[in-house]
Amino acid sequence: MTPQTLHDLRMAQPRFQGLEAGHRACQGCGQALAARLTLEESGPDVVVANATGCLEVFTTAWPDSAWRVPWLHSLFANTGAVAAGMEAALKMQGRDIKVLAFAGDGGTFDIGFQALSGMLERGHNVLFICYDNEAYMNTGVQRSSSTPHAAATTTSPAGVARMGKRHLKKDILSIIAAHHIPYAATASVAYPADLRKKVRRGIEVEGPSFLQIHSPCPLGWGHGSELSIEVARLAVQSGMFPLIELEQGALVGAMPIRQIRPVADYLKLQGRFKHLFADDALAREELAHLQALADQNIEDYALKAETADPLDTEGVDTVRRGGLRST
Amino acid sequence: MRQALEGSQAIARAVALCRPQVVAAYPITPQTHIVEHIAKLVADDKFHCELVSVESEFSAASVVLGAACAGSRAYTASASQGILLMSEVLFNISGLRVPLVLTCANRAVSAPLSIWNDQQDSMAVRDAGWIQIYCADNQEAVDATIQAFRIAERCELPVMVCVDGFTLTHTLEPLELPDQELVDGFLPPYHFSRALDPLAPLSIGTLVAPEYFTEARHLHHAALLAAEKEIVAAARDWAAACGREQAPLVRVDGPADAKIGILTLGSVFGTLLDARDQFPGLPVKLMHLRCFRPFPVEALRAACAGLHDLIVLERAIAPGADGIVGAEMRSALADTDSPPRIHNFAAGLGGRDVPLAIYPRLLEAIKKPHPRMSAIDLRPELLPADSPVRQEAAP
Amino acid sequence: MPVMTPGAFAYPATALAFKTGSWRTMRPLYQPRPAPCHSGCPAGENPCDYLAQVAEEDFQAAWETLVATNPLPAITGRVCDHPCESACNRGRFDAAIAIHNVERLLGDEAIRAGWGYPLPPLVPDAPKAVVVGAGPAGLSCAYHLRRLGVQATLMERLPVAGGTLRMALPGYRLPREVLDAEIERLLAAGINFLPNTALGREVSVAELRQEYDTVFLGPGRQRPRPWDVDGRTPSDLHPALTLLQEWVAFGTMPEIRSAVIVGGGNSAVDMARVLARAGARVHLVTHDALPGPDVTREAAMKAAPRDIRQAQEEGVILHTEHGVHRLILRGEKVVGVELVRMKKLARDNGRFDIVQFEGTETVLHVDQVIPAVGQEVEPEGMENLLGEQHFFPVDKVGRLAGQAGLFVGGDAREGAWGTVSGAVGDGRRAAAVIHAHLLGEFHDEPEQELQVIGIAELNLHYFEQAPRAEEPLLPPENRVGSAEIAGGLATEQVIAEANRCFSCGNCMACDNCWTLCPDQAVLKTREFAADGSHYRIDYDYCKGCGLCAHECPVGYIAMVSESS
Repeated sequence: MTPQTLHDLRMAQPRFQGLEAGHRACQGCGQALAARLTLEESGPDVVVANATGCLEVFTTAWPDSAWRVPWLHSLFANTGAVAAGMEAALKMQGRDIKVLAFAGDGGTFDIGFQALSGMLERGHNVLFICYDNEAYMNTGVQRSSSTPHAAATTTSPAGVARMGKRHLKKDILSIIAAHHIPYAATASVAYPADLRKKVRRGIEVEGPSFLQIHSPCPLGWGHGSELSIEVARLAVQSGMFPLIELEQGALVGAMPIRQIRPVADYLKLQGRFKHLFADDALAREELAHLQALADQNIEDYALKAETADPLDTEGVDTVRRGGLRST
Repeated sequence: MRQALEGSQAIARAVALCRPQVVAAYPITPQTHIVEHIAKLVADDKFHCELVSVESEFSAASVVLGAACAGSRAYTASASQGILLMSEVLFNISGLRVPLVLTCANRAVSAPLSIWNDQQDSMAVRDAGWIQIYCADNQEAVDATIQAFRIAERCELPVMVCVDGFTLTHTLEPLELPDQELVDGFLPPYHFSRALDPLAPLSIGTLVAPEYFTEARHLHHAALLAAEKEIVAAARDWAAACGREQAPLVRVDGPADAKIGILTLGSVFGTLLDARDQFPGLPVKLMHLRCFRPFPVEALRAACAGLHDLIVLERAIAPGADGIVGAEMRSALADTDSPPRIHNFAAGLGGRDVPLAIYPRLLEAIKKPHPRMSAIDLRPELLPADSPVRQEAAP
Repeated sequence: MPVMTPGAFAYPATALAFKTGSWRTMRPLYQPRPAPCHSGCPAGENPCDYLAQVAEEDFQAAWETLVATNPLPAITGRVCDHPCESACNRGRFDAAIAIHNVERLLGDEAIRAGWGYPLPPLVPDAPKAVVVGAGPAGLSCAYHLRRLGVQATLMERLPVAGGTLRMALPGYRLPREVLDAEIERLLAAGINFLPNTALGREVSVAELRQEYDTVFLGPGRQRPRPWDVDGRTPSDLHPALTLLQEWVAFGTMPEIRSAVIVGGGNSAVDMARVLARAGARVHLVTHDALPGPDVTREAAMKAAPRDIRQAQEEGVILHTEHGVHRLILRGEKVVGVELVRMKKLARDNGRFDIVQFEGTETVLHVDQVIPAVGQEVEPEGMENLLGEQHFFPVDKVGRLAGQAGLFVGGDAREGAWGTVSGAVGDGRRAAAVIHAHLLGEFHDEPEQELQVIGIAELNLHYFEQAPRAEEPLLPPENRVGSAEIAGGLATEQVIAEANRCFSCGNCMACDNCWTLCPDQAVLKTREFAADGSHYRIDYDYCKGCGLCAHECPVGYIAMVSESS
């Protein structure tokens, strides 16, 4: 096929390509995939406010832009507020266009937290999506409050005196829950049908909604680019990253796990946890700590599947001949 | 309609007349009355807009940025700490070439903490790439605010309208509020060429590599310089509409052949006008620098032509360096034929009252040697005994 | 040269100018791999293909796909031992797909609905070829020749077509109606059928070779292999093949109260079961072992495990790893046999010897010994070709060594599978070469096929466990006469089975690669692309991350070095 024809094929795809090819994300980038899936589901009638971070940098190196939707990047910390302003304007203009806010964990959990909280508290009709790759990846893998306990980053390295990040991963969803917004959920790139369903839900909701999408970073997490989905899947199946839904702050759904995997299966694929597999007592203790955290999640959110359920981790994103599983 | 209004109220009403669809409000003394009055207008259904009570000034500026990009006229106001907190956003807004109007209720900046008026706040962000207009009185505040929306939208640059806190914001003045029809005739509906639109999507806020950055910054700088024309045109058209003339760039009051000039910004100008009447003597040209950014070099050179002495009286300093406006005036007049001696003084820092007596004091001060830059109203007796200034200024 | 814009905004999708494909060190390749069901099928079927169509409930299309390879699915769906199912990767996940049931249902449905083979019309001056023997090999060869546009003449010694299918397969395995319907459809497809025409009787090989450029021989193995014990045989020795053929044709069986059947193949087992139905007490003696997971192919009975199991249910007594050491004769008639334990042992040179173990003798009192120890080619009319050999030596596609234009397939060739599906496959493979030969073309040797795809190369996360549908079997007490034992599956069950197919090594258009590419480098085509995939990779942008390959459930995507 000549390039001309391939381009025609690209223009005739049966899905909305809000994020187009030619962006400069690393190979296997979970965030790029999550953003692409999000916009496929949202369609073109959106405006996007995007925080500083990987996504913004790799999609818009002037004069190139990979976006096909109207898109504004302002600063690192103000995405929630920028989105709120867009929403106020569109509301006054009477236009039915949904405002999406995209931010990484830095722009959500840390520097961006205040603006996010204000936006939620005021009830703006915005879907705020956090692409959670668990560190400040764009600046070179520094820890954020989303970095999991015991993960190594450049500002929380493992060494003789330290076993990676000392503090726990901030429980952002509980904080979001305390705002009692109509809808909040976690999702993962390993479960694209589930992710799409949640994006659609967030868009349909009137008022603020929040989605935290677990997005592996091969470079920052230290795994092969082809393993991004597998790693994300194991995070869910081990209980480290529960897939849950909240309405008005109350838990309304959790995706059960048929075959709960030990946390070590998830950790051992990633270079950022390799110090936990050393043969010493401290490493073993931290490994056990992480298992305990996962076990607690499983208990807190009742993640153990009792029977085979189409909505559990084995059921949601299975394949069928002929294409996408409809949700 | 002519009425006596508190400055904040007048500004609030002027803003409402311009029909912004989104107003962001975070309170900070002495801007609070502006946002409170806007809130009351909204509550009484006299002003139809989305009033977003944000959780910080950083978010206030961000909200109006988002709103302006999304195709709505937007407005906010702040002062002092708030201006500093939102400074990251201010640079962002102007670099993105987004039209916005912001009222800065000039107030000193911490530390030390002060809620009273000087112009350190707006001066601290003079290089943020905004148009800066200073108002000598509340009538000017009303007129400048309305003109600011037009200037901003034509130039695609944000405009900061600076109004001395308390001195103007909390003072009643008789002034003329235009009616809605007049304002609607002057100010067309908001149009932003790059408004976010799914039918014509653009990516605003890209990463610009070294090979392209200089040109981006140049375009911004050139736009600011070119804004002078729009500022002049706005004043001219406004005068035609409402009959009030205002010098758009530099207002000069006094004999053309005066040899002494005093340049200032803001409400102190009114004090000097009254003082000159009170203390007649040598002919003195009083000048109000209305448009500080872009810095109107030509207009200032013309205004200062023929002066032997120019007193630059300003409401902020650059610690460790000279005065701010003074340094820029020295630079502007340096290569003219026989530039005047420039005497740079600050007064009224942190809200210290500027009495009429400042006028004769200034005229006296320039007869003696004085530092390159000093506060004319410094009280040496409050300084420690070993302070050099105290030792020199023995009463 | 780009022109700087106010605020440095960018236009949409301008990133397409940045071809990230240059980053690659590995590239993904859509590469169909042979599924184990395909490489395991002696007929050469690719079950993945027709299972896909059954899953989409397009039965006629599925049948047409099937008969492009195997024209007799209603038959093979019943009698084939389905090595495809033993090889099926799903067997290592939950349970193998019941492929034979799918095949059978398609075949039965075709008969019921009267579907015809999708064949192009024969042109008037079509090339001609002759096929000798209307057993499964000959029937298949004639059919495939016809499919390729050759006017095939099919000669058969007997008045009717079918060969072993008709002569030696009991009705409880293959009902007569089914056999007749399949053969009738085939012969009516534009094949010139000449029954009652035998080599060495009505016509000779030499005559055929003069009249036709190519000759395909599918004579089968019609002669029972001779058998004796120490050179002695009973006077009333009846080989199993003869008895079976009589029973199949006429339903008659000599009065036998008890018998030993010697042999471990399908004929031996069928003989045993037929005899058991006639009321005899039957012992099956074979030096082979029962087929099982720990038993090699060499050492196991050649009969289908399913049939061995059913034989045991019907009362046949099995003596595996035994042999007849001595006949106990009264005069010339058998009154018993002495059995001894035997084992097939591998020697150092790779050959197998059958070793008897002294001291393990037992006696069985029976009044018949029926050998079913294998068959040979009946050489009548082919003596010059066969010489001293018992089978015809041929290559992979059936060419007879040293005889240009002569082909042999089915049981008669050396190294034959000995199965119906093997014969069908032989007929097809030879037909392709014959066709090329007739057109004066060189037959393309099939390319070196890629390695069969194993379960480790599938991504099993995307499949859910689902039980296999099991067909009903007649309980042993109801197995009388020729009543068919296997009941087949219902349509919904067959569709469910087809949906369980992993589609190993063949794209099932699941959309995974299309969904999971972070770089939008996988594009979906609406129609099948030339390589059978539903997608195209845009190598201008593909960064070679490998996600598509890793997450492909069926192992259809290979990552190869960019420099290769």
